[in-house]
Amino acid sequence: MAVVAQLIINGLIAGSIYALVAAGFSLIFSTNKFMHFAHGSSVVIAGYLLFTFFSLWHIPFYLSCLLTVVLTGVLGVVLHRFVYLPLEKKNASTVVLLIASIGLLMLFQNLLQIIFSASVKTIGYVQVAQGVSLFGASITPLQIAIILLSFFLLILLYWFMKYTALGRNMRAIADNKELAEIIGIDHIKVASLSFFIGSALAGIAGILIGLEQNVYPTMGTMLIVKGFTGAVIGGIDFVPGSILGSYLLGLIENIGIWFIPSGYKDALSFALLFIFLLFRPQGLFGINKGVRK
Amino acid sequence: MIMLEITNLHAGYAGLEVLRGIDISISPNEIVALIGPNGAGKSTVIKSIFNISDVTSGSIVYKGEEITDLHTHELIDFGISYVNQGRVIFSNLTVRENLEIGAELIRDRHVVEKNLSHVFRKFPVLKRKAGQLAYALSGGERQQLALGRALMQNPSLLLLDEPSLGLSPKLQKELFETISQLREDGLSILIVEQNAKKAIQIADKTYLLEDGKIALSGGKDIIKHEKIKNVYLGGRY
Repeated sequence: MAVVAQLIINGLIAGSIYALVAAGFSLIFSTNKFMHFAHGSSVVIAGYLLFTFFSLWHIPFYLSCLLTVVLTGVLGVVLHRFVYLPLEKKNASTVVLLIASIGLLMLFQNLLQIIFSASVKTIGYVQVAQGVSLFGASITPLQIAIILLSFFLLILLYWFMKYTALGRNMRAIADNKELAEIIGIDHIKVASLSFFIGSALAGIAGILIGLEQNVYPTMGTMLIVKGFTGAVIGGIDFVPGSILGSYLLGLIENIGIWFIPSGYKDALSFALLFIFLLFRPQGLFGINKGVRK
Repeated sequence: MIMLEITNLHAGYAGLEVLRGIDISISPNEIVALIGPNGAGKSTVIKSIFNISDVTSGSIVYKGEEITDLHTHELIDFGISYVNQGRVIFSNLTVRENLEIGAELIRDRHVVEKNLSHVFRKFPVLKRKAGQLAYALSGGERQQLALGRALMQNPSLLLLDEPSLGLSPKLQKELFETISQLREDGLSILIVEQNAKKAIQIADKTYLLEDGKIALSGGKDIIKHEKIKNVYLGGRY
């Protein structure tokens, strides 16, 4: 019983991180209609920013976190304005934008290796702590914080999308960009803001994973693959769907190693990705495009 | 007084000229209909006014101001609203959100509320279904929602692109009654229509567009013209 509880808790921790990554990825996809795989870079860069501010420059921890989140959000806007938007203005297809985003992911990964070397960096804010016991499973205070903070942020995002004018405009652009333009919505501004919010969420994910597992240059690639898989499972252009899909992915991965060797954990999520792309590309909760005539 | 004056307009898309020098004028409180065969350039006239197609030469003057190069939000601020073809609405937003987003450019919350209750009075079904997602609406309700959204912008000039397309005869009749009613409310309306007979009946002035040029124009008696009778009403009516 304790083992099952532990696996579920591990699944929730992983799912929380994936959900933060996937929510931002999905938000950016919904308003821009292309895959921003360099979203993984936002996660890993946030980890290194926190390492630089807190561990190297000794800026107070919470101020370091704030700076990290804001700068990661700004990075998203910069990528939108100076990479994607110029390409879109030249009528680049979504495939071109996809390739550009993969190029950025590799560029940042290698830049981080040049600047910080390939070795693992420890932020060292959280001391190794004795876990508390929950239903026979062990969970550290940081892990509890990860689960609660992610949950709170995702509820906040949901509220923002549902009840604010900007959130409504984001949903409108996701639904029909041409119509949004006809009624006078500045879609470039809204797209930039969704890059800011999505990337800032990725920044928070980067901080949490940096505190939990240390930082290394290639972690962004792995995380964006997981976030992308979670988003595909839930429905890539529907933010709440991709959040639920990510929690599901975290749980399936971790409960799966009850049955198969833990070395196949990643293989399990790739298998899920394939199955969904083949048989249900719109995801479990994907937007219903059906129109009543 | 003239509300909108189009003079010697040449326009099209990416180098392809569709309109080859047309003149149209709309007075306040007037319904003007544009009829003609497919591909004559009817929709392009509306898209030129709304700065969606490429205007190569000529002028479009609204209330004394040249508007050829204005941005969408500036045109809406000026009081020009556009309802595009196909009853396009935001399917995944609620009916109320679809209306409120129409008033996106209006900052005054009270004005938005006032416009909303005006639209709800005009289209009671939208009030009943305000909280529902718009994708569940029927064709006629969608058309009302698209019109309602445009009315949320407080327009003085409404541009309607083929509003009756694909609606049943009964719903078409209701739609044309609504459009006449909007004129009573003080709006000017430019309507592009495939249903020539209906359009001529409700319009104060009708332009027949053929091959990018005005072939004929006139009031309600244009319906008696040989050309209209033979080509557009002949066989069908």
